[in-house]
Amino acid sequence: MQTIPAEHFRHDETSRHDETYINPLPVRIWHWANALGFILLILTGFQIRYVGILNLLSFETAVKTHNWVGFAVIANFLIWIVFYLFTDKIKVYHPELDAKKFFLNFFQQARFYSYGIFKGEKSPHHVRPHDKFNPMQSMTYQILMLMVIPVQFFTGILMWDVKRFEDVIEMVGGLRVVSTIHILVFILFVFFILVHAYMGALGHKPSTHYKEMFTGYEED
Amino acid sequence: MTIQSLIGCTTSNKRGALPASAALLVSFVILGAVLLVTPAAANIASEPGVKSQSAKSVKSDTKCLKCHSRDREKKLEDGDVLSLHVAKAEYADSVHGEIGCTSCHQALVGKKHPSREPIASRREHSLALNQSCRSCHAENFEQYEHSIHASLVAEGNQSAPVCTDCHSAHAVESMAVYQPVTGLPCKNCHENIFDAYAQSVHGGARVKGNVIRDSHIQAPICSDCHQAHGITAVAASDYLQSTCLDCHEGATVAHKEWLPNAGLHLDVITCAVCHAPMAEHRVNLVLYDNVARLPVGQNESDTLFEERLRAIDEAGDGLDPVELWKLVRANDRDGQATDVTLRGRMEVSTGSEAHQLSVKASAVRNCDSCHQKGSDAFENVTVSISRPDGRKIRFDADKEILSSMVSVDTVGEFYVLGGTRIKILDALLVLSLIGGLAIPVGHIALGKILKNKPQEGDQ
Repeated sequence: MQTIPAEHFRHDETSRHDETYINPLPVRIWHWANALGFILLILTGFQIRYVGILNLLSFETAVKTHNWVGFAVIANFLIWIVFYLFTDKIKVYHPELDAKKFFLNFFQQARFYSYGIFKGEKSPHHVRPHDKFNPMQSMTYQILMLMVIPVQFFTGILMWDVKRFEDVIEMVGGLRVVSTIHILVFILFVFFILVHAYMGALGHKPSTHYKEMFTGYEED
Repeated sequence: MTIQSLIGCTTSNKRGALPASAALLVSFVILGAVLLVTPAAANIASEPGVKSQSAKSVKSDTKCLKCHSRDREKKLEDGDVLSLHVAKAEYADSVHGEIGCTSCHQALVGKKHPSREPIASRREHSLALNQSCRSCHAENFEQYEHSIHASLVAEGNQSAPVCTDCHSAHAVESMAVYQPVTGLPCKNCHENIFDAYAQSVHGGARVKGNVIRDSHIQAPICSDCHQAHGITAVAASDYLQSTCLDCHEGATVAHKEWLPNAGLHLDVITCAVCHAPMAEHRVNLVLYDNVARLPVGQNESDTLFEERLRAIDEAGDGLDPVELWKLVRANDRDGQATDVTLRGRMEVSTGSEAHQLSVKASAVRNCDSCHQKGSDAFENVTVSISRPDGRKIRFDADKEILSSMVSVDTVGEFYVLGGTRIKILDALLVLSLIGGLAIPVGHIALGKILKNKPQEGDQ
C-alpha cells in the first residue's frame, strides 16, 4: 500500500503522546463549515416545507437563507473537489484499490460495528493520515460527495431561479419532478446527519472522533 | 350646427323659386351649415377606421323623421313589439346626427317602405342591423368580431351585446362620454364587477383624475385594460397581466428586488391574487398541449379532451388524481400518444374580486399566506380547458391532486413550496427521522444485549 509522505501535510505526522495528527486545520475548517451549512440547509429546508407547523423563521427569511447557504456549500464543495482532484490527497478515499480486498474490509468493519465493538474488539481499521477513512466511511462519503450532493446542488440551483432554468426543468420533467428529487435527497441527508453524528461517537471513547475533528489529533 | 337648421333650409327650398337676395341668403346659410358640419365630420373621421359620410344623405332624414318621430310600433313574429320611434333631438345631437338614417339603414334604400317584411324578433333585428356598423367602423368592427362578445352572440347568447347595446341605436355618443367613471356601458351587464372597480384603487384614482407618476396616463377605466371592442376572455392568456405591466412598467423590477423567483410568481399568479387582498383564491390547472405549446382547445376545434373531461366528471364529484393521470396519458382519436400536461395558475375566485384592487401598501407580501398547506388557494382546485375564443370550461377537481405522488407526472409544472407538498414524501421524512433516531437507540440496545450475553465457556 502506498503511503503518503509526511511532508505533504502542513504538520508532520508526529505523535503527541499516543495521538496521531490526522486532520490539518484547513480540513477541519472545511468539515465544520460543511457541517454548519448542512445543518442550516436542513433547518431552513424544514422551515420552508412546514410553514405553520414550524415557526422558527418567516418563509421569506428561510428561503433567502437557504439560497445563500446553498451557494456557500456549493463553493465549499468546489474547494473540496479541486483539493482532492489536483492533489494526491485523493488517496485517502482510495487507500485500497483491490476491490475484493476493499469489500472484505468493508464487511469486517460492518461486523465490527454490529458485534465486535460490543465485545471490546479493536476496530479493524487503523486511522492514519493517508488512510483516515474506514471502508464504510470511504464508500459512504464518495457516494454522497460524488453522486448525491451534486444532484442536490443541481436541483437546488434549478429551483433557485425557475424562470432562468425553465428549459432544463422541462427537460428533467417539470418543477414537481425537480422538487421531488430535491426532497428525497433532503430526506436522505436528514437520516445521514443523525447516523453520522451517532457514529462519530463510536471511537475508543465517545469523544474520540469529535475531539479529533476539533484538534486534528486522533487517539491511537 | 343642428340637423333642424338643415331640415328647415331644404324644406323652404322645395316650396318654389326664390328671389336672388333670398337665394344669396340661403347660399350663406348652406355655406355656414357646411362649415359647421365639417369639423364634426372630421371628428368622426378621426376615429380609427371611420369613413367620412356624405352630407347629402342628411336630406333624407327629414322624410324618415316625419314618421319615425311619432310613436309607432311594429308587431314582431315572436309576439313582441318593436318601437319605431326615434327621438329626434337625441338623434340630432348624437355623433351620427350628421350622417343620415340610410347610412345605417342601407337595406331600405330603393325598397318599398314601410315594408310588410316580417321581423322575427328584436334580437334578430339588432343582429341584422349590426352589420351596417362595419361600413364605417371597419377596424373596430373587426376587433369586435374577434371578441368574446361576438363569440357569445354567435353561440346564440341572447344577452351578449351587439354594437347598439353599448352605443345605443340612435343616441350614439362620442367616445368622451365613456371616459368618466359612470359605468356606461359595461355596468349594464357587469354591475358587480363595475361596483368592485369603482371601489378599487383604479376607480378611486380615475374619479380624482390622478395620473400615473409623470407619464400623464390616467388611471384605467374598463376599456383601458379590456379593450373597447376586441374584448378577450379575461382568463385566456397572459394578456391581462401584460396589460397591467404596460402601465406598471417598473413592477417586474420592483418584485425582483424582494421576491425570490419573481419571474415565476409573475407567470403563474395573477396580479389580483396579491393586489386584491380580500379576495378568495383558487388553483386552476390548465390542460396544456406540449407539442402545440398552447392550452388544449385554444387553437383547435377538436373537443376530444372536453368530451373526456365531461365523461370523467359526469357524477360531478370532482376529478381525482388518477382520473387526471389517465386523461393526460390517453391516446388521441387516431390512437396516437398525446403530450399534454396540466399547468397551474393561481387566480382569484370571481371576476368581482379581480377588480377589488387595492393600494400597494395593502398588497399581500407575506409569503406564508400561500406557502403553507391549507392555504385557501389549495383548497379550491379546478381543471380547465380552453375554447378557441379563450374562454375556459372549468371542472371541479379534488384538492388531493396537488399533493398526490401521481401528480408529479400530470401537474409537473406546478409546485408551491410548502403549499402543495406531496404526502408520501412527508411520510418518508418521518420515517427517516425515526430511522435516524432508531439506529443509535437500536445500536445501544444491541450493545447491552450482547454485553450481557454470556460467552461460550463462561459457564
